[in-house]
Amino acid sequence: MSHPEKCAIVACSGIGKPLGSVTREAAYVLCDELRPTKTVLVALSKVALEEPDALERIRAYPAITIDGCQLNCASKVVTQNGGTIAREVSVVDFYRTHKGPRPEGIAELNESGKRLARALAEELARTVDSVTAEPEEASRG
Amino acid sequence: MVDLPERKAGIVACSCEELPEGTVARLAALKVLHELRPGKTVTICLPLFLAGGKGDRAFARAHPTITVDGCGKRCAARGTERYSAKPYASLVVNDLLAEKGLVAPTGRHASDEASRRAVDVTAERLATLVDEALAGKPASTLPASSPAAGTCSCGSNLPTTHVAVEGVPVEMFALPLIFKQFREAGRSPDDATAGELLEAVRVYNALPPAPDAALRETLRREFEAFCRRGGP
Repeated sequence: MSHPEKCAIVACSGIGKPLGSVTREAAYVLCDELRPTKTVLVALSKVALEEPDALERIRAYPAITIDGCQLNCASKVVTQNGGTIAREVSVVDFYRTHKGPRPEGIAELNESGKRLARALAEELARTVDSVTAEPEEASRG
Repeated sequence: MVDLPERKAGIVACSCEELPEGTVARLAALKVLHELRPGKTVTICLPLFLAGGKGDRAFARAHPTITVDGCGKRCAARGTERYSAKPYASLVVNDLLAEKGLVAPTGRHASDEASRRAVDVTAERLATLVDEALAGKPASTLPASSPAAGTCSCGSNLPTTHVAVEGVPVEMFALPLIFKQFREAGRSPDDATAGELLEAVRVYNALPPAPDAALRETLRREFEAFCRRGGP
């Protein structure tokens, strides 16, 4: 069985809280800087509205969902639309395990928010590597 | 007094992660919320809205909404219309930039000069639309902008009802919502309730010069019919 070439990254981008912006920033760091060739960023609103190109991507690649609150909208929407989730991350939980100053700002995240987003992106980059690795490579890792 | 919602405009941004214009839409919505029209606007979380958030959907049914999308797919506009009500106005960043002859933003972080300008222009247009929505004027942009039929021309999407007072047709604002609250409070369509209904209706309506007794009887009769139907 062939391994997936890429992961679909779906962030909630909630607009009401700083942690929503952390999900968005983490997705950008992961897809634009850390793993640009192994990830494809998919807009959650397009999945929810059943845009064919978005549905195709979440069905073709295992998804990593990043949610900013306990309602887990990204995870729910991907699952409801036929995607397979390789990993779902709650930024609330991730923040609890990474003690630091509170993320602030929605339009412009503060330094703490940016650091949290980068730390999350780095952890998710390892998940991407694991999901997309050749079986032998994965067993060595 | 009946607890009707305070009139505000809801802004629904697509926040598309894939396109620079999605970030522009998001930042423009936040700029209106925090800087240009604080206290007059709320932002509605589109993912929550689309995933089934009842509070956000209820808000969008009762208040005018302005959607701002990055591209012609118009996810925010279509989502709002599908799950709640037709938006008061719909704005598309791409179209607005073309109209203004501005350069399209290039980075998804929207940190370049073109993006900042795009955010400013979009936010200014949104703020104008907020003012128009709250003033009950027709929106000055894009076709899908007139208030839905059967709702108040203030743009709040709250319903208007036509009743007959001594045979004269009278338009009353928010009547089903007032009736709903009285019914939920367990009130019966009797004379005492009719007096309180008239008091509540007067808060939200400039009633025609008709005898109070006639107005009370009309409201009692309408409330009785409302209860019998089980709703609007």
